[in-house]
Formats: sequence, structure tokens, C-alpha cells
Amino acid sequence: MNTIILIFIIFLAGAILTFLASNIKGLLKEVLFLASVIVPVVMFFTGVKAGDSFNFHLAGFAFQWEITPLGYLFALIVTGLGVMAAIYAVSAMQKTKNLGLFYFNFILSIMSMLGILFSRDLVSFFIFWEIMTWSSYLMVVYQGKDVQKVGIKYFIFSAIGAYAMLMAIVMVYSLTGSMMIDKMIQSYAGFAFNMQIIIPILFLIGFGVKSAMMPLHVWAPGAYSHSPMAFTSLFSGALSKMGIYGMVIVMAGMIAYFPEGHWFRIVIAWLGGITAVGGTLWAIAQDDAKKLLAYSSVAQLGYIIVGVGIGTPLAMLAALFMAVMHALFKGTLFMAVGAIEKQTGTSNFTEVTGLIRKMPLTFLASLMGIIALAGIPPLGGFVGKWMLYESLIGSDHYLLVIVIFFSSTAAFLYCYKFLFGFFLGQEEKEWEHVKEAPVLMVIPMIILAGGTFLLGTFPGLVIKPISAGLEQLGYAATQGKYWEMSMLFNEWGDQVVLEPILYAIIAVFAFFLVFLLIKNHKNTRYVSTKDISTSGEVPKEHENLTFIQNFFQPFLRAVEPLMKRQIDFYYNGFGKGIEALFDFTRRIYTGNGQTYALYAIIFVVIFLLLKTTLFGI
Amino acid sequence: MELFLNILGAIATVILAFIVGMSYGGIVRKITARVQNRKGPPWYQNFIDAYKLYSKTTAIHHGWMHRMGPAFLMVSSVVTLMFVPVLNNGGWFENMNFQGDLIFLLYIMVFGSLGMALGAGQTGNPNSAIGVTRGLSQMVGFEIPWVMALVAMMIQYKTTSITGFIEVQQESGTWLMFSSPFAFIAAVLAMLGMFRYSPFDIVGAPSELASGPVSENGGKYLFTMMSSGSIFTFAKLTLYVDLFMGGANNLLVLLIKTFALYMVPVLYGLVSPRYRTEQAVRYFWGWPLFFGLLAIIYAVIF
Amino acid sequence: MSYDKDSHKIFDFIQNWARKHSIWVLAYGTGCGAIEIPPTMTSRYDAERLGVRGAATPRQADVLLITGYLTTKTLKRVIRVYEQMQDPKYVIGFGSCTINGGMYYDSYNTIKVLDKYLPVDVYINGCMPRPEAVLAGFAKLQQLIAEGKANGAQKYKENLEWYRENQKRISPHWVMPEYNW
Repeated sequence: MNTIILIFIIFLAGAILTFLASNIKGLLKEVLFLASVIVPVVMFFTGVKAGDSFNFHLAGFAFQWEITPLGYLFALIVTGLGVMAAIYAVSAMQKTKNLGLFYFNFILSIMSMLGILFSRDLVSFFIFWEIMTWSSYLMVVYQGKDVQKVGIKYFIFSAIGAYAMLMAIVMVYSLTGSMMIDKMIQSYAGFAFNMQIIIPILFLIGFGVKSAMMPLHVWAPGAYSHSPMAFTSLFSGALSKMGIYGMVIVMAGMIAYFPEGHWFRIVIAWLGGITAVGGTLWAIAQDDAKKLLAYSSVAQLGYIIVGVGIGTPLAMLAALFMAVMHALFKGTLFMAVGAIEKQTGTSNFTEVTGLIRKMPLTFLASLMGIIALAGIPPLGGFVGKWMLYESLIGSDHYLLVIVIFFSSTAAFLYCYKFLFGFFLGQEEKEWEHVKEAPVLMVIPMIILAGGTFLLGTFPGLVIKPISAGLEQLGYAATQGKYWEMSMLFNEWGDQVVLEPILYAIIAVFAFFLVFLLIKNHKNTRYVSTKDISTSGEVPKEHENLTFIQNFFQPFLRAVEPLMKRQIDFYYNGFGKGIEALFDFTRRIYTGNGQTYALYAIIFVVIFLLLKTTLFGI
Repeated sequence: MELFLNILGAIATVILAFIVGMSYGGIVRKITARVQNRKGPPWYQNFIDAYKLYSKTTAIHHGWMHRMGPAFLMVSSVVTLMFVPVLNNGGWFENMNFQGDLIFLLYIMVFGSLGMALGAGQTGNPNSAIGVTRGLSQMVGFEIPWVMALVAMMIQYKTTSITGFIEVQQESGTWLMFSSPFAFIAAVLAMLGMFRYSPFDIVGAPSELASGPVSENGGKYLFTMMSSGSIFTFAKLTLYVDLFMGGANNLLVLLIKTFALYMVPVLYGLVSPRYRTEQAVRYFWGWPLFFGLLAIIYAVIF
Repeated sequence: MSYDKDSHKIFDFIQNWARKHSIWVLAYGTGCGAIEIPPTMTSRYDAERLGVRGAATPRQADVLLITGYLTTKTLKRVIRVYEQMQDPKYVIGFGSCTINGGMYYDSYNTIKVLDKYLPVDVYINGCMPRPEAVLAGFAKLQQLIAEGKANGAQKYKENLEWYRENQKRISPHWVMPEYNW
């Protein structure tokens, strides 16, 4: 039997079995859940390679599943993060109700993502897309909080995206008579001009919703923060990447013959840039870690969209590398928030402080995740940022690079807020009982964070499959031109050699750390965070002096004009307008027979008056 | 053997930067005193202070992050120094000049402040956290004109490496401060924030924040920070000289150029009061941003 | 053996020289004497030329300057600040009030003899002492440091019980962390 179909069968059977086993006491359901995630993933890594395919006919449509190099790259993200999140979820979701539904949706969403990546025809693509949307929707409303507001918002936007995509698919079918993605890409150049514009736009609406592109991002902060954190790491890390995957196909495949610097590309890139700035600024203003990370996800996806929009080889490398990095570090961070929420019961910075000595491993993982997020060498985030800047400068997007730079510098603010809010500051008696998260939650975090560390010095490990994926889309080979295993080049040949940088950083850090530790070793003592210089006053035990309220108030004051309105405002206005329109329409139907008779008479009169002009009778 | 020599060269560079940075600090104190009609401390006062801090016999810490903070800071300064060409012809001070470019440098320069900020955060002193938020906000402010200046120069000369800029200047024979003047103006205005003299000394703010992020540090920690600050000052000044003033062929020229450049933030600071945080941030988004835009337009046109 | 001793002496000499020329003062303005600090620091008398400069927090400071009378309420804070300072540390009693109570000799809410509560290294007499006197006090402290005789902190450590007893007599509801050096 073909391995590809076997993978899907195991996923599906595993999902159903886990769901059925959910009421059985003991560890059966956990074992089933882990098995049905890990077994297909192991099969994927051992039994499948790029180029394998599986074809069948059903209901008159030809289905074609094939593993393309690009799909393989994204499948690495999905499977890698999926396994980590699954291990994390087993421990994190203990003692929650309705666990069967969670596991069921979890497995289904991994399956649907792999399905999206493997399908080469639009029918199965759309079907898997819908499965993904539904399973993630059920996750968003899983905890039952604010279902009205958050769930409906996510659902409406997903529906808009799906319908736009469906429309595009129907158009493609009517134009080409085929559902194959390859066929669509090939015949795209022969379409009429209006179709050439409309089809990509409709597709991009569909993909833009999933990747939270401005102005379609409004569902993201709520949905990310309301689903269980075990799933959010997958949601933000992998699920949103499906939008990016679609965008890459559209931007690099379909309209590849649009020259670099075409207005269409620039519009997409600027939308990405605005997304990045808006997401960053709103992330700074958040007091809840989940919301902060959710907005930060929106911003990070903005960078990726910029790269995909620009579309030069270096920009595509940057975008896809950042997609991988984002999966790693955002997975880590959401898991860390989940761990903190599980141990303390809250994810609000203003309530929890000083966890560093209680949860050191979580802190370590978060620290690495944050350094990667901020793009500081020697961790992997830097590589993606560097390539993005160089590609923007090299392809003459001068203002966009400033916008991106502003956004990623401002990102330091919320990065610090995240670490400070949870882990630093004064230690409080209220949180003295907090212990490190269970091993099964810590291990996935540490592994993912370690991934960012490894890729920071040897980005070639991931750029190699990225490069292969890009070659499939028609780009020239980039190895040696833009990258080596641990070297990066820009268009002008300037380079960054990552390996010696890492060694230099480690050497200097180690030297001064040893100096600081050894010097006066015997006369250096630990003092509690209550023993601080506060003009001789001794803070009482219940007095918490941590500064966390209005943390970046001066900065937010400085950027106030940029943050006057959220996009939500306009959507609400739009919604109200529509409502008013319907309200008006409703008034026509008064239920009064005489009014209806009046309408009929008016209609007849108008008809008689205009019949000559309208019908030429 | 080569590696050994490289390490030796790196150590020599660091010692040079330490000595020059410390002396500059002392001279600045002297100049400040003269401007205020005082006699002032001797120029080597900073060395004495540093040695005194080093010789403090006890120390406290609030946890691991607090202990590591100064080491993070040192990484940032020393690694930055390694990537900035001290002299045009390399020689002893070549270090890692060819292995990173300006964008890398921009990011490694932030590394230390973030590490230091974490250390300051763990002390639990509210003043430290306030100082850090001020510092980060101010950084977002001045990085924008600074990056605009750099981007303008990058697109004008089609290179992003510092050695590339030095070569450009050697070939054309003019300093970049003359051939791309607006970028220079924007960069110098950004420099005011970078060096944190008045009116941008909002991070330390001795009178209201009790020296902000460093308020819980004494003895060896403060010694490391002080050394790191001196090295960083030298590295940044050398970077500016390399980018805008044609680099330097020998140490004497380097000292003259860096010192002249250093006087800009120092003298401007001497006659200025202190800004509030949002004023400081907005200052950089006013004229400096305008000059940055001008620089980009200039670079695109020419 | 004698060689070791000598080299140790040279080392001490350099160290003391550095300590002597770099005095970071935590001016704890407890009393009216604080008004004499600004003229001492600014252009007329310029203490910075002697290496004397202000410090912002006790962690960074070398010298605790008790400027004038010390009320019984403030004493606790001052002790706290002193205990937060890092060795080597010195105390300067500033003004007559710190010596014998001065004009507050019969006041019910000031302490009279500072040395009973904190190990004072140098007293500066006067009410107020003029900046010249303050500078003379610093010079005396420098001389003591150079000779290695400014060891008030040592005295405090050795006689901690005695000091504590005196301190607790002034503030009976003592809720401070113990001195742990």
C-alpha cells in the first residue's frame, strides 16, 4: 500500500479511536493519541521522500497527492511541531473535561495540514483546508470562553476566506477545465488580464485570512489566546503557515512572471509591513501574555508576507526561513505560557512575578525563544531578519526596510515585557508554592528552543530544503550565492560568517562570567529581592514593588497617533452599516396588505413609464 | 598558531579600547568640570574609580540572571569591537572585520542591553525596570534615523560591509560625511541618543531613578559594566569614523577623529537639560527622521 | 616569607591609593547639614577634584555621609542603608549633632552620639561645618584610608551585638533583616 494514503488512514483511524477511548479510564487515550500522531510522522520521515505521489479517481474528479519539495519543507514544520505539541498536550491537558474532542481535533488538524501540503489538485486542497478550519474552530471554542465574540469572528473570517478561495477555484476550473494546481499555474499566463488579477486576489484573501494578514487579521489575537495553549503553539506555529504556503504558490508560482517591483507585489509587501508594525505596537500594549504573543504572531507573519511579497530569491529564502523559525520559537513561547498558566492559574503579567527561580527551565526556553524572536545573534531569528533586510535593501525597497526595522526594534519592548513580566521582578509570597512544569511539558520546549540555537549557527540545515522547494517553483539554485552551511551572503557579496561569531560570543561570555563568579566568590551572597536599595525602607512581605503596570506608557504615548484606531473599529462600523441597511430593508415588509398593494401599483406605474426605454416595446 | 595570534590581536584591541575609552571618560569629566568652572578630577580618574570598584571586597546578587547581566553587556561591546575595523590596513587589529556586516552589527549592539536589562530586572528594584523601559523606548527612537542613514549609504554605495565603506572612501578620496552629508547629519543626531548624554540621559537619571538599571550593582559588577561602557564607546566612535570620516591609517589619527566626534554628544549634553521619555522618542522622529528621509532621497537620486 | 609580606604591602598600598582617590559618597540628607553638600560639590569648592563624587544607591557607595541630626525614626533607615553598602565602607559624621547631639542635646527624638549606632570613621565638627571643613574631613578620611586605619566596618562586624543592642534601644519594634556579612 502507498505510504501516503497509509499515513492519512492512520491519522483518521487514530483520531476516531482516541475519541472513542476518551471515556475509558487510564492512560489508553493518551497512548492512542501519541501513537496516532507519532506513528504517521515516523512513517513520513522514513517511508516518504519528495517526489512520491498517489493518484485516484473519485466522483469524477482526479485526485493527485504528491510530495513536492516545498510541501516537504512545510511538512517538516507541521510534523516536527506537531509531535512536540502532542507530547506537550498530553501533560498540559491533564484533568480537563472533554479530552476526547481535543485529541480528535488535534489529530485532524495535523492530518489536514499534511493533506493541504500533499494535494496537487484543488478539490482535495479545499477539502483539507475546510477540515483544518473546522478542527481549529472547534479548538478556539473548546474552552467555552467568549464563544460569541472570538469564535464567531474566527468563523466569519474563515468563511470569507474559504468562499473567496472557492470562487477562485471555480473560476480556474471554468477557464482551464482542470483542477490540477500545476495546470492552473501553467495556463495562468494565458488568462485574460482581469482574471489574472482577480484569481490571485481571491486566493490571497483565502490565504491572507489564515496567515492573519492585515486587514484580515482581526480574528487572530482572540483565537490564539482562547484556544488551549497546547494547540495554540501548533495554531500559530504551523497552521498559520498554511496561509504562507498558499501565498508562496500564488506569488511565486502563478504570478512569477510579474517582474520584481510590480505594483501587485509591492501592495502585498506593504500590507505585510503594515501588519508587522501594527501587530508589534499592539503587542506592546498588552498585559496578557497570550494576547501579547498572539499580536506578536501577527507581526511575525507580517515579516514573512513581506518576504513572499517581494519575491526575490533572497527574500523568499528569508521568508521561508522565518516561517520555520517562527514555528520553533512561537511554539516554545506559547508552550511556556501554557506551562505558566498551568502552574499559576493566570497568564497576566500584572499578577505573576518573579518566577525565574521557581521555573528555571521554562525561563531558559522562553529566553531562547525571545532572543530568537527579537532576532539577536547567535540564535536563528537573526538569520531570517538579516536575509530579509538584505533582500529589501538589495531590491530597492528603502522605505519598507525602515518600516520593518522599526517594527523589529519595537519588538524588543514586548520581548522584554514578556520575560520581565513573568520571570523577573520581585518574588512574591503568593507564588512561593509554584514549581517547575512537568517534565513532559519542559522537554518539548527545550527541544524547540535548542532548534533555534542550532539553526542560528547552521542555518544551512534548513535553507537546503527551502532552496530545493524554491527550485521547484522555478528559482535558480541559491547555494553558494546566498548561503553556505553557516555563512550568509547578500546580493553584493557581503557576508556574515556565523560559526566564528558563535565561538567569539561564547568565549567572551564565558570569560567574563567566570570572572564575575570567581572574583570575591566567598564574599558574594545571594540576597532576596526584598533586599533592595529603597532609601533605607524595608518592603514588607505583602508589598510588591515590581513595576509592571503601564509598563511602556511613555513609548505608547509617543506612538499614540499610530494606535488611535484598531481595524476592529472599521469592521464594527461596516457591520453596523450593514445592519442598518438590513434594518431598512426589513421595514419595507410592514406586514400590511395595503402597503404591499401600494408597492405593486408603484411597480406597475414605473414599469409602464419606462417600458419603452427599457424593453423597447 | 594563527589562531593564537588572532586571539592575541583581539586581546590587544580590547585593551586598547579599554584604555582609550576610560581616558575619554576621564577627559569628558574634566571638560564638564571646566565648562562648569570647576577644576575637575584628573584625566585618569576613571581608572582609579574602576580599580576601586574592582577592589571592593564584598558583593551581593539577586540570582543568576543578575550575575550574568554584566557578562552579556561585555559580549556586546567586545564582539562589536571585533567587527569594527580599528585601522584601515588591519594589521594587529584586524580581528573579525570581514565576517560580519553592518546589519549584523546593529543587532549585536542590542544583545548586551537586552541581557543587561534582564539582569536589572531580576534585582526586583522598580527603578531598574523603569530605567530599562526608558532605555528600550529611547532605543526604538534613535535606531530609526540611524538605520535610515545606514540604508541610504548602503544603496548609494552598494555595500553593507564596513570595510566596503572604507574602500569606497579610499578610492574616491573624500569622506562620506561630505559625499553623503544628510546621512551623516541623521547619524550624528542618532548618536546623541546612542551615547546617552543629556538631554537623553533618561536611562540613568541619577536624581530620579537612582541610576536606573545599575542601581543594585556595585563592586565587580559595576567594574565590568564600566569597562564594557568604555569599550563600547570606543567601538561606536570607531564605527562612525570608519563609516563617515575615512577610517584612520594610524592610531594617532584615529584618536583625533574619534575624540572630535565624541565632543558632539558631550558638548551638546553639557548645555542641555533632560527630556522626558516620550519627548526623547519623538525628538528622533522629528528632524533626525527628516534628515534620514533626505539622505535616502539623495542616495536614490545620485 | 618577608618577601610575600612586602609584596602584600605594595598591593595594599596601590589598593588604598585607589580607594583614597575615589570616594563615592552617599549623601543621606538626614538633617540641615545637607545644605552644605551642594557648595562642596559645585564649582566653588569642587570636591570632585579630590575624587569625591556622589553615588546614587548604597550598593555603589563607599562613604555614608550623615549630615547633621539623626532622628530616632530615621536611624533605622540609615542603618539599613549602611548595611546594604559593600565593603570597604566608611561613615562620616557631619556636624556637631552627630558627635554629642549639638543643639539638640536635650531633644527627645534625636540620637545624640552617632558612634553608638554606626562606626563613625571621621567626624566633622561645626554647626554647620563650612565646605572647607567638609573638605578637610574628606582629606582626613583619605589619610586614614591610606594608612589602612579606616576600618569602621571591621569594628561594626566585630561588635555587632553591642551596636544592635544600642540600635534596638532606639527603635524597639525592630523588623529588619539581620546583617549577614
